[in-house]
Amino acid sequence: MRGQEVRFICCASQPPAGSPCSAGAAAAAPPPVNRWGTGLLHLNKKGFEKLGLRVSQGVEAGGLLLIRGTTAKPGFPKNLGGTWKRLQSGTPGSQGGVFGVTTVFPTPAQLPFSVVGSLNGVHMFAQNLDVQLNSARTEDTTVVWKSFHDSITLIAVSSEEGASELSLGRMLHMVFGAMVLIVGLEELTNIRNVERLKKELRASYCLIDSFLGSSELIGDLTQCVDSVIPPEGSLMQETLSGFAEATGTAFVSLLVSGRVVAATEGWWRLGMPEAVLLPWLVGSLPPQAARDYPVYLPHGSPKLLERWWQPLLEPLRACLPLGPRVLPEGFPLHGDILGLLLLHLELRRCLFTVEPSPDKEPSPGQRRRLLRNFYALVVTTHFPAGPAEKEEDAGSPAQRPRACYLVLGPGMGWRLVALQLGLRLLLLMLSPQSPTHGLRGLATHTLQALTPFL
Amino acid sequence: MMSDPAWRDSRGRSAELPGDLSSLEEEEEEGDSNAGASSLGSCSSASSDTDLEPEWLDSVQRNGELFYLELSEDEEESLLPETQTVNHVRFSEKEVIIEEDDSRERKKYEPKLKRFTKILKSKRLLPKRYHKKSSNNNGPVSILKHQSDQKTGVTVQQRYKDVTVYINPRKLTAIKAREQPKLLEVLVGIVHQTKWSWKRSGKQADGERLVVHGLSPGGSAMKSGQVLIGDVLVAVNDVDVTSENIERVLSCIPGPMQVKLTFENAYAVKKETIQPKKKKAQSSTNDLVKLLCGSETEGIQPSILGTPHIIMYLTLQLQSEVSKEEEILYHYPVSEASQKLKSVRGIFLTLCDMLESVTGTQVTSSSLHLNGKQIHVAFLKESDKLLLIGLPAEEIPLPQLRNMIEDAAQTLKFMYGSLDSAFCQVENTPRLDHFFSLFFERALQPDKLHLSASPSAQQYDAASAVLLDSLPAVRWLTLPQELKVELDTVLSDLEAADFEELSEDYYDMRRLYTILGSSLFYKGYLVCSHLPKDDVVEIAAYCRHYCLLPLAAKQRIGQLIIWREVFPSHHLQPPADADAEVFQEPEGRYFLLIVGLRHYMLCVLLEAGGCTSKAIGNPGPDCIYVDQARATLHQLEGVDFRLEEQLASSLGPCLSCADWFLAAPREKTDSLTTSPILSRLQGSTKTVTSPTCRRTFFSDYSFKARKPSPSRSSGGCEPGEGGESVGTSPHTTPDAVRKQRESDGAEDSVALLKLTRKKSTLPNPFHLGNSKKELSEKELEVYNTMKLTSGPDNTLFHYVALETVQGIFITPTHEEVAQLGGSVHTQLIKNFHQCCLSIRAIFQQTLKEEKKKTLRAAEHSESAESVAALTPVKEHGVLFECSPENWTDQKKAPPVMAYWVVGRLFLHPKPQELYVCFHDSVTEIAIEMAFKLFFGLTL
Repeated sequence: MRGQEVRFICCASQPPAGSPCSAGAAAAAPPPVNRWGTGLLHLNKKGFEKLGLRVSQGVEAGGLLLIRGTTAKPGFPKNLGGTWKRLQSGTPGSQGGVFGVTTVFPTPAQLPFSVVGSLNGVHMFAQNLDVQLNSARTEDTTVVWKSFHDSITLIAVSSEEGASELSLGRMLHMVFGAMVLIVGLEELTNIRNVERLKKELRASYCLIDSFLGSSELIGDLTQCVDSVIPPEGSLMQETLSGFAEATGTAFVSLLVSGRVVAATEGWWRLGMPEAVLLPWLVGSLPPQAARDYPVYLPHGSPKLLERWWQPLLEPLRACLPLGPRVLPEGFPLHGDILGLLLLHLELRRCLFTVEPSPDKEPSPGQRRRLLRNFYALVVTTHFPAGPAEKEEDAGSPAQRPRACYLVLGPGMGWRLVALQLGLRLLLLMLSPQSPTHGLRGLATHTLQALTPFL
Repeated sequence: MMSDPAWRDSRGRSAELPGDLSSLEEEEEEGDSNAGASSLGSCSSASSDTDLEPEWLDSVQRNGELFYLELSEDEEESLLPETQTVNHVRFSEKEVIIEEDDSRERKKYEPKLKRFTKILKSKRLLPKRYHKKSSNNNGPVSILKHQSDQKTGVTVQQRYKDVTVYINPRKLTAIKAREQPKLLEVLVGIVHQTKWSWKRSGKQADGERLVVHGLSPGGSAMKSGQVLIGDVLVAVNDVDVTSENIERVLSCIPGPMQVKLTFENAYAVKKETIQPKKKKAQSSTNDLVKLLCGSETEGIQPSILGTPHIIMYLTLQLQSEVSKEEEILYHYPVSEASQKLKSVRGIFLTLCDMLESVTGTQVTSSSLHLNGKQIHVAFLKESDKLLLIGLPAEEIPLPQLRNMIEDAAQTLKFMYGSLDSAFCQVENTPRLDHFFSLFFERALQPDKLHLSASPSAQQYDAASAVLLDSLPAVRWLTLPQELKVELDTVLSDLEAADFEELSEDYYDMRRLYTILGSSLFYKGYLVCSHLPKDDVVEIAAYCRHYCLLPLAAKQRIGQLIIWREVFPSHHLQPPADADAEVFQEPEGRYFLLIVGLRHYMLCVLLEAGGCTSKAIGNPGPDCIYVDQARATLHQLEGVDFRLEEQLASSLGPCLSCADWFLAAPREKTDSLTTSPILSRLQGSTKTVTSPTCRRTFFSDYSFKARKPSPSRSSGGCEPGEGGESVGTSPHTTPDAVRKQRESDGAEDSVALLKLTRKKSTLPNPFHLGNSKKELSEKELEVYNTMKLTSGPDNTLFHYVALETVQGIFITPTHEEVAQLGGSVHTQLIKNFHQCCLSIRAIFQQTLKEEKKKTLRAAEHSESAESVAALTPVKEHGVLFECSPENWTDQKKAPPVMAYWVVGRLFLHPKPQELYVCFHDSVTEIAIEMAFKLFFGLTL
């Protein structure tokens, strides 16, 4: 278990046992922090404690590198073989100095500063030659570089099993979104005072950590908003609209453990990163009764400060147990289903649960990871359109993938199915006794049953 | 005529070819008996039973290697020179295949060379210089026999090079010069200034040596890129020339044509080791042959050159920063698009260094964007050297690239022993250039190189290369038992090596080589092999890299002889334990002999050392072994048609064409008789009915035997009923279809789907066990040929079954696929292979994890802590939908057909992989299909 969830840890060397890192990561489910009263807080006290640990630990070993400074100095050596040597001779841990590299996040303990410098140096060197270095893989590690606005380069290094370029790349997008959310784009593209920026970014650690740890949610990967199907949707919607009117805002949503239960139309019109980020932000904040939190919207108005008001509502008791289950009580799910992920590619909402048949193997955390990995695989290889683009009607290729399944090997036998119908993509995890040839039928049935909800 | 050691002259073809590639012997015309007779005197000392020197002897290189290819007569004819225009010659690759229709036209040009020779003869310009024995130091044709080659002359062979240039005398009419035009300058583009020339010393008494003093811009000589200043022109089309007769010789050129110029190499004496880079081969070759012989390496199409691709071999040890490109030991190609990739090699070096030190594992790949194109770069690190191959992502997916780099490295090791010895020796550079030009050609233009018999087969080849080229196995053709035994016997006879010349008593000396084993290929299919799996896989990879397999499929080879030292990993592995009882591989050397004849290719692996005499130096091919191998192939002449028969309707399972299923829904409501699916099915069976009546009988029988199984009969269509009418055709499928339609005419695929879905219980995969008892083995084998899928309809479109223990895989033959035809089916096959590639990438991950796990278990038992990653995967299926291309009917939506591509990995009892493609209407159990396919699949 250890070492796997720390998705940013760069090195092959796993963190020493008993380090805060592994302890924190062991929290299978992220603390379902939400804002519905003390009763809840009590319920999740344990999780909260772990959250606290993770937050502080994230500062120590968050593993996220944020590097600034892309303009190469004259005389930047063309041959990096030489550069490599020079970098190594640089004082480890020194901040800045080598080719204008400044990390604005603390460098993780596992990565000496010299390595960070070379990682950035390689990317920079390539950029100078009009080549964009995207990724590199070793036998067990994946490195992904991403540049944003010619100002910030994010580098993700992961040796987690099954880490894919897709998931790392999307995570970096979320991280950048989170940074914009907290400090604004202006501050990031036009950095005047690095020290101040570092200080300001400290507020985002908590949110960024939630991308690194194993979250219960999947929005960071799918770039769709995690949602819950409420038992009385219309009623909830009405109440919410009324509330929005009363408070004079268009953007109101009701969250249960990081998932959207109901939201106003205005909310759904929010752009891509923020629609996912805001619920995550709420999830990462310490529980409070009410909170006024200023944010920048990375997509909609990255430069204007929005007042985002977190409303206080009467606790909707009915919704609470819904949290991780996502689907309403009594929804007829086939007994073989162990996990479910439904995405609507246009609405950009998703339902994700691993609660069915909780007594069966594997554990929810494992189910989540399997489904996440399966999603990354399916989107990378078979359904490349993904949620990013809409299904093309014209000029579609003659051979279109519609469904796929995967049977895991001996000792496990779990089945994973993906089925795409129109704008919906359904991923299921099924128990071993489910016959292979019936997988597609089962998935089709489930998708049809779920269609009214999403 | 082809098969006999021909009576041919040695027409001045010096053998300093790029690497092991070779000259393509032009077929001698019968009319040249004159020349032929003159070669009588030269005989090979190695072959005692004939006074004739084998025609390939001249092509043997200094290092003993031989790559000799000669097409059969009719092939030659159809390929005769396309010399009409300059463009045509220079960009001849634009021409994909030479169409049959053209052959007649070509015949017009065919005699030109002959005519030229005649003209020369009539003017008494053709000296009697075919007696080559004593002409070592004066003629361009001073080709040393390989025997003398080994002993003494090392440099002479390198002194001469042949350059084929295009010469158009009509140019003269354009240039109306007052003075007598210098033909050498105008026609060939070579500037020779008499006043500069030095006094000749030598036997050619009159005339001066034609030293190249300059090249006129745009001239043929310059375009060829092989004529260097300082070279000496010694012959034109084997006619010796000096400054005195050159103008006369050139004026004899009747019209536009290819002319062979022979040069004495400018640097031959100074730099003996460096071989001339390239050599133009004869014009009478087609593209594939040209490529094979490395003649067109510089003529690669601009489209390829524009694509960024590169191979680099770098050293990670940086001595200093003195010289800029010191770390590059080898790179190819030299083009602008590749230059960029070369210039960023610092990235790769740094990544390799840094990531390894950080993660402890080696870098495998990296991706980057270059001019808006995504490029994947695969890494292979060996000690302190780094092999890199970069190719665009849209052409080559990453898993394929990984396979390709490993494949290339494996083949290079097979050829040279190690990557270092391949890349670090200067004289290998032209050979590697050729190797990688073929490599990239295959990667970027797969349809160019697969010059198979028909366009459909060609498409099939190109589509399947994605997957099949990277399989660690050889394409196998399943043969009936009698035929297999026959081939086995023939090969065993060869391997026994007790023919007279080889018996040790005969010469009272030790045998030169032990025959370790041999493999026989027919049209690129492995039909018989007596070699260990690793060897045959490596040999097949070698043949694949040099495109020999498609060559054998398309062209009837007149004669192919390849000889080279090889380094089979299987034999050269260090002994695992020093146990005296375990067989130790002798510290011998290994040689590969490939002899091709017609569609056959016989690969023989020889061992020197061990119980035979040690090999000294670089021995060339031994005539006795070559002759024996050829005799073996002659013995197989009669088997041809039976193999053809197997190719046309192999023992593999029956296939359906995707287009039939697409047509079906439209015709569903129509009356039965007009249904195209049926008529076409029947039509197709007619073409395959040929083989045997035995088969018909068995199909009938097996079908009845199948009837009692209750789990299979779905709904009202009892497949067993089909058995009654089976007598008319060997294929049950169409009959079953008809029966089904008759019994339930309105039934469509949806209903069928429901029926099958209703029974959700898992059909017993061992169900076949019952029938197995009833049927003898052979009968079962025949049963397998009938149908792989379980429904009443035959829904199997395609399959690939890989057996890693024996290193073979089976897949439908070209003929079978061609019989099916269909545009959608072609698309489907392409898609199938691409999908299989990504499925296989997942399987490879699983295999790697398994290996790691067993390793870990051996060290210390750490529990399998993760179920996070998607390993191990044992089965992966993808459902596709397709509709016909170019659907013009606006009113109706195009019909849609859904099919599965399923891959299944078996780890136990032996690693096997199965990929099948079948229609969606019937649920299939991959295990069951695999059982049927793999059953009886033995070498």
